[in-house]
Amino acid sequence: MDDALSWGSIIARILQQFLPVWIALIVTFALSIKFKRNLGLYGKLFDSPVGMVGFLLVMFWVFTAIFADLIITMDPIAQFGRIKNPLPGTALIDVKDGQYGYFLLGGDHLARDVFSRVVMGARRVLTIAPAATTFAFMVGVTLGLPAGYFGGKLDTILSFFANLVLAFPVILLFYLLVTPEIRVTGIPIYLAAVLFIFPIIFFATLFNSRFFTNPPRRNLYVGVTIVIGLWAYSGLAFNADPLGVWSMDPNLLNVFVSVVFVNSPTVFRIVRGIVMDLKARDYVAAGQTRGEGAWYIMLWEILPNARGPLIVDFCLRIGYTTILLGTLGFFGLGVSPESPDWGSTIDDGRKLLSIYLHPAITPALALMSLVLGLNLLADGLREESMKD
Amino acid sequence: MTDTTWDPSQPILEITNLSISFFTRMREIPAVMDFSCAVMQGESMGLVGESGCGKSTVALAVMRDLGKNGKIVGGTIKFKGRDLTNMGEEELRHIRGSEIAMIYQEPMASLNPAMKIGAQLAEVPMIHQGMSKTEAWALARQIVADVRLPDPDRIINAFPHQLSGGQQQRIVIAMALMSKPALLILDEPTTALDVTVEAGIVDLVKELGRKYGTSMLFISHNLGLILDTCDRLCVMYSGEAVETGNVVQVFDKMRHPYTQALFRSIPLPGADKNSHPLVAIPGNFPLPHERPDGCNFGPRCDYFQDGLCNNTAGIAMSPVPGDDRHASRCAKWESVDWDAPIKIRAAKPKTPIGKVVLKMEDLKKYYSVSGGSFGGGTKKVVKANETLSFEAREGETLAIVGESGCGKSTFAKVLMGLETATSGTIMLFDENVQSTPIQQRNTDMVSSVQMVFQNPFDTLNPSMNVGRQIIRALEIFKFGKSDQDRTDRMLELLDLVKLPRAFADRMPRQLSGGQKQRVGIARAFAGGAKVVVADEPVSALDVSVQAAVTDLLMDIQRENKTTLLFISHDLSIVRYLSDRVMVMYLGHVVEMGTTDQVFQPPYHPYTEALLSAVPIADTRVIRKRIVLEGDIPSAMNPPPGCPFQTRCRWKSQVPNGLCDIEMPPMRTLAGGHQVKCHLSDEILASMEPVIKMAAE
Repeated sequence: MDDALSWGSIIARILQQFLPVWIALIVTFALSIKFKRNLGLYGKLFDSPVGMVGFLLVMFWVFTAIFADLIITMDPIAQFGRIKNPLPGTALIDVKDGQYGYFLLGGDHLARDVFSRVVMGARRVLTIAPAATTFAFMVGVTLGLPAGYFGGKLDTILSFFANLVLAFPVILLFYLLVTPEIRVTGIPIYLAAVLFIFPIIFFATLFNSRFFTNPPRRNLYVGVTIVIGLWAYSGLAFNADPLGVWSMDPNLLNVFVSVVFVNSPTVFRIVRGIVMDLKARDYVAAGQTRGEGAWYIMLWEILPNARGPLIVDFCLRIGYTTILLGTLGFFGLGVSPESPDWGSTIDDGRKLLSIYLHPAITPALALMSLVLGLNLLADGLREESMKD
Repeated sequence: MTDTTWDPSQPILEITNLSISFFTRMREIPAVMDFSCAVMQGESMGLVGESGCGKSTVALAVMRDLGKNGKIVGGTIKFKGRDLTNMGEEELRHIRGSEIAMIYQEPMASLNPAMKIGAQLAEVPMIHQGMSKTEAWALARQIVADVRLPDPDRIINAFPHQLSGGQQQRIVIAMALMSKPALLILDEPTTALDVTVEAGIVDLVKELGRKYGTSMLFISHNLGLILDTCDRLCVMYSGEAVETGNVVQVFDKMRHPYTQALFRSIPLPGADKNSHPLVAIPGNFPLPHERPDGCNFGPRCDYFQDGLCNNTAGIAMSPVPGDDRHASRCAKWESVDWDAPIKIRAAKPKTPIGKVVLKMEDLKKYYSVSGGSFGGGTKKVVKANETLSFEAREGETLAIVGESGCGKSTFAKVLMGLETATSGTIMLFDENVQSTPIQQRNTDMVSSVQMVFQNPFDTLNPSMNVGRQIIRALEIFKFGKSDQDRTDRMLELLDLVKLPRAFADRMPRQLSGGQKQRVGIARAFAGGAKVVVADEPVSALDVSVQAAVTDLLMDIQRENKTTLLFISHDLSIVRYLSDRVMVMYLGHVVEMGTTDQVFQPPYHPYTEALLSAVPIADTRVIRKRIVLEGDIPSAMNPPPGCPFQTRCRWKSQVPNGLCDIEMPPMRTLAGGHQVKCHLSDEILASMEPVIKMAAE
């Protein structure tokens, strides 16, 4: 049996494990800085130290998620050894061939490797959070554009529902959506059915409003959107994909739907506000005077010019969603009991927090650094998009 | 603060070889180079130039308010003999607002919306002179009366939003005068105001300058305004002063090619689109980091001489002997024949006026506005357009003149189909479109009525390239069979508006204001428009660019026999390019006729005031000064009887107070000239022309 590792060698080994991430980061930064003058807003990000730090943190976790299989030292779900809560650097007993010999950041109460769980957790978090945020944006944008553009009764009704959702306590809403009794009634499925249709509507209108002057091309784009959209829709919302490519775990679906449901009203309100401002511009009037349809004006004249604040909000919202997922996991409403997502891991570690700090603190730091990175990135983007 | 070393015979403000740069991430951008000028006590100095020439930067440098990026990199600014460039913050704070005051362009932005007028005014002497509160308020009340605001007691207890734009600007002036400054800097103080209101403010500024003996630095792009207000001027171009001197001497005896070109590009009385077209300055304003060697104006100058005008040593100011401190930054001014007549460009044939294409009869547009904030309350009706009747013919330019709120934009919206009229008929090519909103008009109809917008920075979608925006218009108008057809047509349209074809791939932010406006024109003509509504298409552009864009519109009109409805408040340009003029006031057409009829007496009293309010940059012109009292009444609450009766100076000439009671009928005078006024024929006939050329 080997001796436990010192902190120095733990850090050295961790740094070594992240080697693919370092290489990817260096390549990304080198290329981006070299060509930053040709890259628009993204390029300008590299003029702002705050933005660069934020981007670095975010990309660290993105690459960690991508290369997670190369980085992990052990199976994140499997249990190793006989000791509970091994300390960081503890050597594994009975090392088999090809197995990594140490718990780099210790193990949890089931002797699962904390380091590997956190790395795998990044993959979990970084697939759900951006996807859920994207869906929330689709819903918010598709409803916010007409509310702001047409105003009147439509706006009053939509804003009322948005306020209704916002006024409801979020955690309570989650509990309700995830409790078995509610799930039996099928409410999450219905919600998913409603929310998941929005991306299809969004893209179909987007292409139709622009290409209706050219029917063959319009038919192609809208057709492809609808075929792929409905295919994915059947799989994701009803788990009824005939080909079995698209599917979503029922637990995941619940979490996903709740996050989208809670986020979309805020997006709706932001979009509505920007549209009300932009619709008074002359280029909108120019579109109207040449007989352009309302949806073309909304989606092609107004939306692209609202991108600045929306991109910033998107970054902040991914961070917010990440925390939300963490909170859900912490309350045991997570994706699945075994899942290595950060929220559940913190919850697992919480029980023995006064004795063993490491199983909870590592995922907590990971969560914090990702959200911090996203917030800094949003700050940097905001600052840079204001200039010139 | 009592600096006794200053001798009043010395300039109050003396700027010597001032250079200012802005430092950005990429490079140092020189904004002002080697700028010198002197302002004596009681003198008013005008700074003229196009946007980006550095005139506001000079003003901000005097206030030492250049922001984080701006730095004075050379030269001195001496105020009463003390150098401001190396003065400490504490000392500067004493000078700002007390000895030097500044008035900005946007009055609403200069006033604190959460403070009462009186409190804002009283703050100045309380801070600078330590005056007691009661005394300061009493002074505030007196100064408010001084700037000729009615009912000063009510005004000092009002909040800024309760006042009109003109009143707000008067308050800003009052605030600047509160501590009796020695120097007043005015940065385009009237640009945001209507012309009749502007005339009042200009009069006020002149009178106060005399009364208090304040020196003024008056920044403007409007040469006419400078002639009205200033004793001396300094013409700036691309960061340099190019000519300075006494106003009359510079206007009559200019000695710099830029000054000359500037005067040739503004529509003065006598200019005419067919026989005496304006001469636009060729080329574009150089970007600050792309300035040429030697004379900055060199590449655009008619007198350019290789080797002399572009030597790397630069060109210094040289005095014009015999004149009062007159100097020019031109290497060739002594050898140029300044009195040579303008090379007359081939006079263009007058466009033949064809059949009637647009006919409006008794058009009315009312908006109903709910009174209360929760939808309750009494409904109010805003009468944006009242009984509008006119016709426009093929190939004709009809100018629609009026100040903000007169209903000219509403009229444009109704014509375009963005709004439907309340009643009346609009016949467009013999088709009644009065109640047809744009969605129900067919493509032909839509493409034949198009619009050119006012604000060049707003008219193009900032996130779509230029070519794409024009192609989109072609797609919507169902032009061509393939993408290739449309791309070809788009390139032709760029040729038509005299833009390089490479601009198709540019984004709007890479274009200058004039270039954007050209793209807007190309887009409007994409579907072969027959009627084009141009809503103040050049008012936001610099004078030298205005001429080029106006010319372009005229050329396209000639070629396509387009009917142009030219909406404007600028009477100089209207006189230059229109065939017929329609003057609007509070939703009513008050006068209509050919350009000559409208610009010659008899006038409608409002037209008379409007004509007299427009500053003209020609020393030979003698203008009768008619300053309208008060502001334009709100369209929500128009006065009874004649809409203009509240401000009309002829009202007493109408017997029985008819103006208060009855709406005057539209009367037709000789030659189809229409006037909506109660004045008798004799009085109308006795009116004198407002603008006269002095005998030469």
